[in-house]
Amino acid sequence: MSTFSTLIVGGLATGAIYAVVAIGFALLWQASQTINFAQGEFVMLPAFFALIAMGMGAPYWLAALVTIGMSVVILGAMFKQMLVDPMIKHGVLPMAIATMALAIFMKESVKDLYSAEAYPFPSLVPDRNLAILGANISLQHIGIIVTAIGAIIGLTLLLERTSIGRQMQATAQNPTVARLLGIPVERMILLTFVINAVLVSIASLLVTPIYLAKFSSGETLGLAAFIAAIIGGFNQLRGAIIGGFLLGVVDNLAAAYISTQYRSAVPLFILIAVILFRPHGIAGRKEERTV
Amino acid sequence: MSEPVLALENVTAGYGRMTILNGTTFSVPRGGITTVIGPNGAGKSTVFKTIFGMLPARAGRIGFEGRDITNLPPRDLLAAGICYIPQGRNIFPQLSVRHNIELGAVTAARRLDDLPRRIERAFERFPALREKASVQASTLSGGQQKQLEIARGLLLDPKLILIDEPSIGLSPKLVQETFAALQELRAAGVTILLIEQNARSALEISDHALVLELGQARIFGPAKEILHDPRVAELFLGGLAHD
Ligand SMILES: Nc1ncnc2c1ncn2[C@@H]1O[C@H](COP(=O)(O)OP(=O)(O)OP(=O)(O)O)[C@@H](O)[C@H]1O
Ligand SMILES: [Mg+2]
Repeated sequence: MSTFSTLIVGGLATGAIYAVVAIGFALLWQASQTINFAQGEFVMLPAFFALIAMGMGAPYWLAALVTIGMSVVILGAMFKQMLVDPMIKHGVLPMAIATMALAIFMKESVKDLYSAEAYPFPSLVPDRNLAILGANISLQHIGIIVTAIGAIIGLTLLLERTSIGRQMQATAQNPTVARLLGIPVERMILLTFVINAVLVSIASLLVTPIYLAKFSSGETLGLAAFIAAIIGGFNQLRGAIIGGFLLGVVDNLAAAYISTQYRSAVPLFILIAVILFRPHGIAGRKEERTV
Repeated sequence: MSEPVLALENVTAGYGRMTILNGTTFSVPRGGITTVIGPNGAGKSTVFKTIFGMLPARAGRIGFEGRDITNLPPRDLLAAGICYIPQGRNIFPQLSVRHNIELGAVTAARRLDDLPRRIERAFERFPALREKASVQASTLSGGQQKQLEIARGLLLDPKLILIDEPSIGLSPKLVQETFAALQELRAAGVTILLIEQNARSALEISDHALVLELGQARIFGPAKEILHDPRVAELFLGGLAHD
């Protein structure tokens, strides 16, 4: 029983990170029809910004702020202006292929300019275990879950409770009408890219202490986030959240109870099951109440 | 005719290499409902898109209350007092009805301190929307969606409304309601420029009519006269002259 709860908490921690990355993925898709196949590498890179900042003597909190700032500029604004804007004119597929090329470019650049080694990375929360009701719970996992959920709640409040957030949603749902109403559509799309950059840098700071900073560490994560977004229904943030957590938990349980060898196949099995039984995704219903 | 509220002079516009409006000239008198009729593809919707800055005018001039508004962006046109309700469904399906309406005032959000009152007025005008205020707009019926678009457009108290085929796909009862709403607005002094497929019923509630053909304004006159003009009846009113 105690291993089970340990596994669940570990799964929720992984799932929380998947969810954050999947939300960013879905946001980009909604706002600009960008399928970002470099999303995993977007999580890999900020850790190196942090390593560089800390290598120059910055304390953790400052390195984290620098990381988010650099991600906003490079993975947010520059990504949009230099790759998405010129490519999206040619269609969704050329755009998606361009992001695949970007993923390779990012991996190779980190390998050549920094190193091919894996680097340890400091954790926001000390890596200690807590005994709660007889179960062995990792404090680091709790820290990840709390931070990720905090980020998700913050984003939800921005989108639902502020005028800017609703203008972003309006832009994603019907850009032509948004433009007619005088909503600054271009600025809203840019804002979405900025938000994605913040989300991936948070995910990077959370996940790298566990998986180490390595040029190739975005591969699994990118795939998982992509699958989580599809499972959840692709154009529903709630779906990306559910998909992310579900995938994380099932993944962890499967690794423990079935086999680590089949572990990487689990997300694909879930994906196939969802496509067969709920083609619009778990949360992909048409008509729902909003607040 | 007094000073027209809207005037197009030799406006040229089109899509890509295709020119649809080729020197379009007409003016719309202040107050009242002016209906634009013409065959499919005549360029009626294109005229609206060009007035509202969604399609660039390549030549010519568009004036509103004597001011040059050619190629101004929607933001400035809204501020000037023009509102455009395009053909089809123009809502944000996953936002609530209230939030959809509120977005009609984003360009003025900072100087509108009476937004709640304006939204309240919209609900008084269209009670069905109040009942569904916190429900996703996608759950509204077609007629209610049109009401939502009109309510949203009225939020900034426009002086001129451009409305493109509001009755398409609506039941006769809802068409009646929509037309009644337009008549109320006219009574309040708003100028309405209306495109209607359902030309006969539209002309019956209109003051003026404009016949557009191949991107050119062919006939302009009192709606009653156009309604009984044999040329027009034959061409655009489907010859149903005795119902
Ligand atoms: N987005 C577009 N791109 C290219 N051509 C277009 C576009 N929209 C309209 N057209 C063409 O421009 C011409 C005029 O179209 P417009 O929509 O203005 O006609 P309309 O008078 O509103 O017709 P309807 O009664 O069918 O609504 C048509 O030949 C149409 O095919
Ligand atoms: Mg039309």
